[in-house]
Amino acid sequence: MGLSAQRRREIRKWQPQELEWQDIVVKNVTMQFKRVKDEATSIKELIVRTIRGQQKYEMFTALNDISFTIEKGEVAGIIGTNGSGKSTILKIISGALIPTRGTVWVDRKKVQLLTLGTGFDPELTGRENVYLNGAIIGYTKEYIDKKYNDIVKFAELEGFMEEKVRNYSSGMVSRLGFAIATARDTPEILILDEVLSVGDMFFRKKSEAKIREMIHGGSTVLIVSHSTSVIRNNCTKAIWIEKGRLRLVGDPNEVCDAYEKLKDV
Amino acid sequence: MTTSQQHKQYTFVVKQLTSRELKRKYSRSYLGIIWSVLNPLLSMAVLSLIFSQLFRRSIENYPIYYLTGYILWQTFTGATNSAMTTLVDNKMLLLKVKFPMDLFILTRVYTALINLCYSLVAYVVMLVVFKISLKWTMLLAPFIILCLFLFSLGISYILATAYVFFGDVKHLYTVILTLWMYCSAIFYPVEQLQGFIRIIIWNNPLFTYINCLRKAVMYGTIPEYIEFLQMILWGVGMYLIGYYIFKKSKNKIMQKI
Repeated sequence: MGLSAQRRREIRKWQPQELEWQDIVVKNVTMQFKRVKDEATSIKELIVRTIRGQQKYEMFTALNDISFTIEKGEVAGIIGTNGSGKSTILKIISGALIPTRGTVWVDRKKVQLLTLGTGFDPELTGRENVYLNGAIIGYTKEYIDKKYNDIVKFAELEGFMEEKVRNYSSGMVSRLGFAIATARDTPEILILDEVLSVGDMFFRKKSEAKIREMIHGGSTVLIVSHSTSVIRNNCTKAIWIEKGRLRLVGDPNEVCDAYEKLKDV
Repeated sequence: MTTSQQHKQYTFVVKQLTSRELKRKYSRSYLGIIWSVLNPLLSMAVLSLIFSQLFRRSIENYPIYYLTGYILWQTFTGATNSAMTTLVDNKMLLLKVKFPMDLFILTRVYTALINLCYSLVAYVVMLVVFKISLKWTMLLAPFIILCLFLFSLGISYILATAYVFFGDVKHLYTVILTLWMYCSAIFYPVEQLQGFIRIIIWNNPLFTYINCLRKAVMYGTIPEYIEFLQMILWGVGMYLIGYYIFKKSKNKIMQKI
């Protein structure tokens, strides 16, 4: 789906008026994917169908007119069942996708997106993966050199770093991922995609403490989770998205109660 | 971040990704990277065994003739074949990263270039073995390789974009490569061919690169004016076309992935 030049200009031009308090402003965002009905996966098929005029499209609305704001220093949680559009909204906020309609205002330079389990190469050693992963999420070589010992220590992986990641347990991998991602000096906007349910009970406590430390460091945090306890324990605001629609925004406890009630039915 | 800092960071990323590619390629073999040196030698031995009698009169130093073509051809196919799938392979990373996704394509082509450097070790050894004397025209080799690099990069941009939308580009490309290889005069003398196929070969950019390198290394002659023009135009032109197509489709790629 190409965007018209006019639409691009609109996006660039739009600036909310009062931005002293908000860090993320999502305004009337609609995301539609054009899905070809039983998609042509081969060129031959595509050509045959185009000639016959059989290319049928159906629009799939992943997000429907979503608006919310997140203020500076707030810890907001997005909750919703699987496939409700949570990760789509994250991709839009982090800039990976451009919405079909509506706008998002956020200073992308400040955003740090934290997801787990991506970017590790099982054939490389732990040490090599730290450098690879660090490079990918934007650390310089000097910075990784400096922080390397802290990362290993936080992940509790002393003595395993020259081992191939292929031989790690899944808990070890996610601990390392968490340690690398949080090694940076507190980012201003931190987006966490299902990261707070990592490792065993003890590591979970430790990681929650680390996140809290970042929150106290003045970061604005956006957590995405389908676990209500994570939202209740950490957030000051909850946003419930269900089947692409905004259901409820407000106090985490109230929103979580409503969400759980729906799940029970 | 200033531009120079950003540049430095991108270089670091490409280096890290490249070292991953190299390590992974040989991660389950004992000889590891030495295979990059051994492969061309073994292939040269095989082909020489079969064809050097056949082409004895028309080509002197058949093994070198073949090896020159082979290493450039391998660089090109290695680069384009691996770059084609890179966006799909690194799907998960693409959504997470903050650097342009061109770097993934650049990395795979650069990896092929590093591989070429290892193969050049074998090549130099063979030049000594076959008593090819030093010539100043050999200094042209880096220039030829640079043009080939740009050409491969351009093709890679197009293939990587196409592969995101159609998986069968991969199979189609295999067939095209076979045809392309036979049209690049890697293991036979080009003089014997006549007519239509001759025109194709002389207009084949890869043949131009191979032929110019042969001239520079084996015969000590400078490529003709028109050949220089061909090398530069194919290299730069293909790079620009590829990059333009890739840039145009960037948004679509993100949605598809």
